[in-house]
Amino acid sequence: MTVGSQVKGCFASIKNIEASLETLANKVQDVEAKNAYNEVQQIISQIKDDLKKQVIYLAREEPQYK
Amino acid sequence: MPDWIIIILKSITLIIILFTFTKLLGSKQISHMNIFDYITGIVLGGIVAVHTIDPNLNLLYGIIAMFIWFIVPFAVEWGSLKSKAFRNFTEGKSTVFIQDGKIMEDNLKKEGFTTDDLLEKLRDKDIFLTSDVEFALLEPNGAISVLPKRENRPLTAKDLGIKLAPTKEPQTVIMDGKVMHESLANLNLNLKWLETELAKLNVSIENVFMGQADNDGALYVDLYDDKIAVPEPTEKPLLLATMKKCQADLELFALSTENQTAKDMYEQNSKKLQVAIDKIETYLT
Repeated sequence: MTVGSQVKGCFASIKNIEASLETLANKVQDVEAKNAYNEVQQIISQIKDDLKKQVIYLAREEPQYK
Repeated sequence: MPDWIIIILKSITLIIILFTFTKLLGSKQISHMNIFDYITGIVLGGIVAVHTIDPNLNLLYGIIAMFIWFIVPFAVEWGSLKSKAFRNFTEGKSTVFIQDGKIMEDNLKKEGFTTDDLLEKLRDKDIFLTSDVEFALLEPNGAISVLPKRENRPLTAKDLGIKLAPTKEPQTVIMDGKVMHESLANLNLNLKWLETELAKLNVSIENVFMGQADNDGALYVDLYDDKIAVPEPTEKPLLLATMKKCQADLELFALSTENQTAKDMYEQNSKKLQVAIDKIETYLT
């Protein structure tokens, strides 16, 4: 596996986490838990943005594996 | 009219009256009744019993007697709701039996409790040594409430400083294969959600004996057929595991890359993710 595909896999997992958190935040009744889920979701979305940039950068570095 | 018809008619009338009176007197649990409630119950029952089986007695007298025995306790109850002093008089006050691990012998004698009675009641509460007790009180209804000394109290999450996610009561959303719409609405969920969850578990609603949903909208079901294994909800443990895996991956990328900006980015994000995991772990376990 190339570095590019590894990072892509991690990026996909992060997206999965973000979506799961969003469903949980929508389903949960308790306000405190809802806030915690939302807060963590924001952190995850920052990580997602960074990784997205990295994925694009790596795709440019390794065009042969695209 | 033959006697037996009279007895049937009287019984039905008295049952109806007794039922209404006891409903109106309120539904205190038997263990929470004070002496007066107890006596009232017996007398009302007695009047009904006597009048039911004796056809020669005048039913009207019975009803009058029952009415008196109903209205006085009713007034007493009303009065004790309104005034604390009156309540102390009618319901009695609690008596201190043990304070700072020392038994109050005079109070014991006053309430007619022997040492054995006290020890028995304490053993009921899993206490075998009176010096383990900080404070014990005889309630007006005859029960003993015990506050053990600090070191003898059961350990709680608060003592250990563990933060736990709050939980609300679970709702029973399926009973005997039927959907309970009100419970679903209490959780802000709908039939569509239930159908999806059941489809995920690969069971049809008719086969579900009982289905309960918790605060986070995870569904736990019990089927009529006990041979079929039902998977437990895995959404939350899976989410936590994925988060941990991603965090480890980011750390690995940070170690393996030679590009300094990428390294910094990976390190920073792996730290962020760790913070996120710490924040949410209590809610996901």
